Amino acid sequence: VNRDLVFGAVCLAVAAGYYLMAAAIPESALSDNVGAQGLPKTYAIVLGVLSLVLIVRSSAAKENHRNAASPPSVFRAGGMLVIGVVYLGVVPWLGYILSLAGLIAATTYYQGGGLNARVAMVALSGAVFFWVLFVAVLGIPHPPGLWPSLF
Amino acid sequence: VLPFFTTIVPAACAGVAWGILGGALPGISPSITMALLLPLTYTLDPTVAIVMLAATYVGAEYGGSIPAILIRTPGTNAAAATVTDGYAMKLQGRAGEALGISLYSGFVGGLFGLAVLVLLAERLSTLALAFTPQAYFALGVLGLSVIASLARESLVKGLMAGVLGLMISTVGTDPVTGLTRFTFDSPELLSGIAPILVMVGLFAIGELLAQTGEPGWQAVEEKARIRFPGPAMWRRIARPQLIGSVIGTFEGCMPGGGGAVSSFLAYNEARRWSRHKEEFGHGSPEGIAAPEAANNTVACSALIPLLSLGIPSSNSAAVLLGGFLMHGLLPGPMLFVQSTDVVTGLYAGLFAANIAMVIIGYLIMGPCIWLVGRPKPYLMAFIYALVVSGVYAIETSEFQVGLALAFGVLGYAMRYFAVPLLPMVLGVVLGFMVESNYRRSLVLASGDHMTFVQDRISAVLLGLAIVFMVGSLLRHGLDARRRPSGTRA
Repeated sequence: VNRDLVFGAVCLAVAAGYYLMAAAIPESALSDNVGAQGLPKTYAIVLGVLSLVLIVRSSAAKENHRNAASPPSVFRAGGMLVIGVVYLGVVPWLGYILSLAGLIAATTYYQGGGLNARVAMVALSGAVFFWVLFVAVLGIPHPPGLWPSLF
Repeated sequence: VLPFFTTIVPAACAGVAWGILGGALPGISPSITMALLLPLTYTLDPTVAIVMLAATYVGAEYGGSIPAILIRTPGTNAAAATVTDGYAMKLQGRAGEALGISLYSGFVGGLFGLAVLVLLAERLSTLALAFTPQAYFALGVLGLSVIASLARESLVKGLMAGVLGLMISTVGTDPVTGLTRFTFDSPELLSGIAPILVMVGLFAIGELLAQTGEPGWQAVEEKARIRFPGPAMWRRIARPQLIGSVIGTFEGCMPGGGGAVSSFLAYNEARRWSRHKEEFGHGSPEGIAAPEAANNTVACSALIPLLSLGIPSSNSAAVLLGGFLMHGLLPGPMLFVQSTDVVTGLYAGLFAANIAMVIIGYLIMGPCIWLVGRPKPYLMAFIYALVVSGVYAIETSEFQVGLALAFGVLGYAMRYFAVPLLPMVLGVVLGFMVESNYRRSLVLASGDHMTFVQDRISAVLLGLAIVFMVGSLLRHGLDARRRPSGTRA
């Protein structure tokens, strides 16, 4: 797959969608000469033109990304993302410490670190460390989860 | 003004320690190290936060040389020039000497850069009171003109990344009419997307995703202790240090310059002017001194365009700009008028940071070697935990964490498609400034675009932007001609 061609096509679609959304911004009685739509529409047109240039050039050029990621590593990266998304989903229920411990353990396991008592201890200790740093020291309230309502 | 010894010095020490640790971790650049720290500084006093971030930059530039010398893996891009002679010295059993030369040269370069920063930045700021909305718009355009030189191999893709960044900056409330744009009825997007979220996502989370599936890092086999150079070595490395410092000063001031470029230029020039050319590549102390002096000079000189004009000339300067914005400080001409305490504190902090770098660099060597040797799974897990915790701290919102993850995916995709990240960051950071001042200027001038040429500062800045853009385009044209056909994009 020619990646420049794919990137150009994706950006062209983004430019088109963005232009349509910009055009849907309502006019205001307080509007200046340029208006709320002005620069967004310009950006969309510029991105569209650049995308077309990239598409035309890449259609005639050879693939040249020696260091770009291969498909298997793309899937592995997707797994890391899933860990983050699951963390986001469970943190309001399980609370910060348990969810973060889960994130640390899952990431360690996913990266080939195994899943055993040692990993569990490191994950829990790490979560407590971050709780002390953010909640106890910096005073930033992280989600407590459902636990306070149970007791 | 904050007390020096009880606030500035501890902040500088903490920043340097964090920077050395981050810089020593392969795959974690100074900008990522700073981006990871950025959310933690949210609740701190602005001066303390800025000093801590700037000190992190100083520390990270040195820290990158540690794995470069010990395991032949540059911790930062700028340390790549140190690998050849540093690792060769390590193989000769002179790792401690190499680490000492690296630390001492970084200290010399850092102080040189700080002196230049103090002398130049404030003078440029005397333009402050003459700045109109037209001039601010032109300043934004000057910043955006850097995109062409940051685009590296592909000008088109760099420009596209810049425009995408400008698009992201339009999310939120319109600066003139108050209408909402691209918010999808989400209240969390009404105030726009914070540049810090974009940076943490693109740099830190994107890097985590990219590192997944890569092979583990080589373990450190020996215990090394720093050995500082004696008088004879001082004399020998004085000239390469001067070469590195001068090159680092120019590269730091130039948009699109930065530590990596200056390190390689300094290495090359040090070899050209050396009496021991034959030692280069086989363990030459000069081959370490020049690039290390250069990249630590950049850590200070890159702040000249940032403080005086509000233009970030490197990834790390862009993250530092994010730190300023997060604390309600606007780098640029007015900073020296409205926030003199922050500027003074920053200068003092940078001085303290360079002293602290020597002390902490010596003390922290053991933990650094231990950390670099940690298994990759644990290291990545803790970085991930730090990122999600830190991003949540910005607005105590899970939505922001989700947004950062989304920008992480974008960062990964940009790496996949070989699209440079910095142009997008510049677009996000400068987009609001450009749009709001462009439209204010036109309101004041009744829609007459000649106002941008009639304002003298605006005209000069726009002229400079044109020079930068034309220069970058010419350079890209020449580079494209040198490359084999069929590889341009």
